[in-house]
Amino acid sequence: MPHLDSAYRFARWLTRSADDADDVAQEAILRAYRGFDALRGSDVKAWLLTIVRNCHSTALKQQQRRAQVPLPEEHDTQDGHAFIASTPDPESASIRRDEEQTLERLIAGLPDDYREVLILREIEDMRYREIAAVTNLPMGTVMSRLARARSVLKEHWLLQANGEPHAVL
Amino acid sequence: MQCSDSLRVQAYFDGEADAVTAADIERHMERCTECRTLHRGLEQLRTALRRDLSHPPIPPALRARVMRALDEEGSIDAPQRRARPTWRTRPFWMGATSGGLGMAAVAATLAFLLLSPQLSTPVVDEMLNAHVNSLLSTHLIDVVSTDKHTVKPWFAGHSDVSPLVADFEPQGYKLVGGRVDYLEHQRAAVVVYRHGAHVINVFGWAAAQRSLPGKLTRNGYHFVFWKAGDLQYCAVSDTGWDELLGLVRLLQDLGGRDAG
Repeated sequence: MPHLDSAYRFARWLTRSADDADDVAQEAILRAYRGFDALRGSDVKAWLLTIVRNCHSTALKQQQRRAQVPLPEEHDTQDGHAFIASTPDPESASIRRDEEQTLERLIAGLPDDYREVLILREIEDMRYREIAAVTNLPMGTVMSRLARARSVLKEHWLLQANGEPHAVL
Repeated sequence: MQCSDSLRVQAYFDGEADAVTAADIERHMERCTECRTLHRGLEQLRTALRRDLSHPPIPPALRARVMRALDEEGSIDAPQRRARPTWRTRPFWMGATSGGLGMAAVAATLAFLLLSPQLSTPVVDEMLNAHVNSLLSTHLIDVVSTDKHTVKPWFAGHSDVSPLVADFEPQGYKLVGGRVDYLEHQRAAVVVYRHGAHVINVFGWAAAQRSLPGKLTRNGYHFVFWKAGDLQYCAVSDTGWDELLGLVRLLQDLGGRDAG
């Protein structure tokens, strides 16, 4: 089964947690293997990452159900208005202030919809068509989300760099 | 105000533009400061991402755990099962789709397409998007073949429907391949024909209840809709009406013969 590293990395970026990534990646790889025979195309990577993404979304829903926090009415996070990023705690001592950590933190802080297309393009080096398949989005949406993701990331990155004299542009 | 070509510049940067489009975008960037700056910004960001991000491989412990589980499953003959993988039938698969397609309208306004607001049928937007993307990118076709016996079975594994596929080269409509695009929450089958210098995309998907117009023109592209069996078809191209209707008639005749 190829692309295990990609599956794991994508799970890491989706879950933003090493423990959750382990679970999601394992579930996805096993599920992929069970369905391997049904895959007659050649695009194994896109297919595997699609399963990773689905496993993540299932796990997320289960978590939310378990948490049962009385939220002030569920927001429709898909309508494009509720893109609220949950940024990791900036006070956390584990955040080293070097460039790698900065970029990783900035990406982790992107809204989920933006982060996934950015990761698939820039880290996994996938074509628009493949990204559309993984995210189940029309290609036009992939392109516009990717443009937004890059523009937001660039903006935050520049802000960060300007605020920190040691950062290199 | 963002230059309306920004998505094309991004596509060029991502290597998604074909040679002709790329040359066109390069010419545009010579004139447009904004797009030059955008392109430089994209390069800087990619350089930083490739330089600074770590790419952790799958941890050895996890790999071992997965391999062990696979070995155990292997002994129960997993590959013999012809059932479709479970993830395809999960509700979240459909759930994820609805939000994405809701965004299609947003994407269309952001896209480089010249939008005319007179018709807001989402499926027309989606098809226009898909058609223009197929011309822009090098991904006109997923399966390249002039043989219907290659193209039709390919759809079985990739699309939700099995459309009519035929080569009409003697009549001037050469079959060049097939592709899958998302339309109305489905993986629609797209059969690609060439007529002279023009590309004709024929979309096929499971017909919905509501009726679509017989034909319409959007941004200079002609759309012809028809139903055959339980499938909805739409042929899209920038050819003239007569040429496009010629192919539609051939396909309708074929559909009638197959049904009879």
